[in-house]
Amino acid sequence: MLFNLIVIALTFLSFAVEEFVPVVGVAHNARLFITPIFFFCASVAVPFPVMLLLAFTTGFVWDARYMEVVSLDSGAERLAQITSFGGFSGYGAGMVGGGELGFGYSIILFGVLGSLMQGIRPLFRKGRWELPVLMVGFVTVIWLLVQYVVLTFLRGDMFFPNEMWVKTVSVTLMAMLASPLFYLVLHTLARATNYEIRYEGLRYRFDGS
Amino acid sequence: MKTLNLIALSVFMAATIAVLTLDTPTTRKVQGRVLAIFAPFIHGSGAVQDTTSKAAAPDVDPRELMRYNEQLKLEVAKLKILSQRHDELLDENNRLREMVGYKMRAPFKNLVAAHVVKRSAAMWWNTLIIDKGTEDGIESDRAVLTDSGLVGKTGRVSPNMAEVILLTDELCRVAAMVEGTREKGILSGERGAFVNTPDLRLRFLSRNGEVAPGMNVISSGDGGVFPAKLLLGRVKIFENKDIAGEAVVEPAVDFSKLEDVFVVGTDVARAVEVKTP
Repeated sequence: MLFNLIVIALTFLSFAVEEFVPVVGVAHNARLFITPIFFFCASVAVPFPVMLLLAFTTGFVWDARYMEVVSLDSGAERLAQITSFGGFSGYGAGMVGGGELGFGYSIILFGVLGSLMQGIRPLFRKGRWELPVLMVGFVTVIWLLVQYVVLTFLRGDMFFPNEMWVKTVSVTLMAMLASPLFYLVLHTLARATNYEIRYEGLRYRFDGS
Repeated sequence: MKTLNLIALSVFMAATIAVLTLDTPTTRKVQGRVLAIFAPFIHGSGAVQDTTSKAAAPDVDPRELMRYNEQLKLEVAKLKILSQRHDELLDENNRLREMVGYKMRAPFKNLVAAHVVKRSAAMWWNTLIIDKGTEDGIESDRAVLTDSGLVGKTGRVSPNMAEVILLTDELCRVAAMVEGTREKGILSGERGAFVNTPDLRLRFLSRNGEVAPGMNVISSGDGGVFPAKLLLGRVKIFENKDIAGEAVVEPAVDFSKLEDVFVVGTDVARAVEVKTP
């Protein structure tokens, strides 16, 4: 119980630390995303209901802090009129109206990715960090790509520039490099609070009959 | 699956659906509050960035700074006189327009000066944070400019802080026209342009339009967010696409050197296109 409370408190603290992380200019302003990485690592250590609680709070605060919300006011319609020229009425209206990721998207993403991370709990319990580190890289790529694919699809076309790949790969590598540190913190914390990491997923039960 | 897990999953899904169905004003209010909570950390990180960049910067001669300060004081005094004269002429112009039935042209009288605290660190958006908010009369979707031209528009706003969506972001779309022609289009940044000063795209121009490199691109005032006649950039290349013309535009503002900006305040009447009777 104490372990879970401390993990929740650390998640909130990570948002404050996040503000101080600098960007890497040569990698198209890629940077280390402290909060998502901490969430992915913590997902391995906490029970399923606590992971869902973490996914909700992390996703909610993340979207509130970082997601841009588009106001669909009359301005978009008036701009659409400009693009209806030469008989191509409505041409470009989709681009002008501009679909964007909705507020709350990150909650779903963190929920799904956190559930994936729950699958490697037995390995984490045994102190094996190779696969958990690879899993952090995998879910970070999924997290970034799903956001970008939905964003680019909603904006009207599928466009994947090189800059996007460079940024995604850089962020993922930084996440994988930093994740052992987060696992170390969580392991130390678990030991200090006598918390036992249990696997409650697909458990084989045999009643002896 | 255990009963507790099922209950947790149901509550999680219900709460997520509730968040997804929030309307835009509520979402913006929530975002403003969260921005206000993080304001001390954002200020702190901005100060750290300033300190580190200043530590790396070469020393400046204090005598040179004093000379520069004197020069600026003289310039401010001169501009004050010119501004006063400009206001008088504008009032006179508007009175005369009214007499002959023209529509009034409203000036910017409430520009809020703001300091750039830091470049935001969002993954897919080009934004920055300024140190003025609702308490200074700033709202969402307000034009942000410098003496060089348009910088962008305000996004989420807290009482003492606001986020600016830069013109280089694809999300910031401006109704624009090429100065000296009838060519109108929509100017926006390019997706995946994460460098400090990327080129912009002016789309939906006429094919074979009279657009040449070096021409100024200004805001047309359509769309209701940006006032008319703000300098946006200069045409670099004009291309004929399948059904419309498209121009690559070099931004008027150097986004890598932004320190202070002006936000068009709430009680400023928007500039209106002047129509002949």
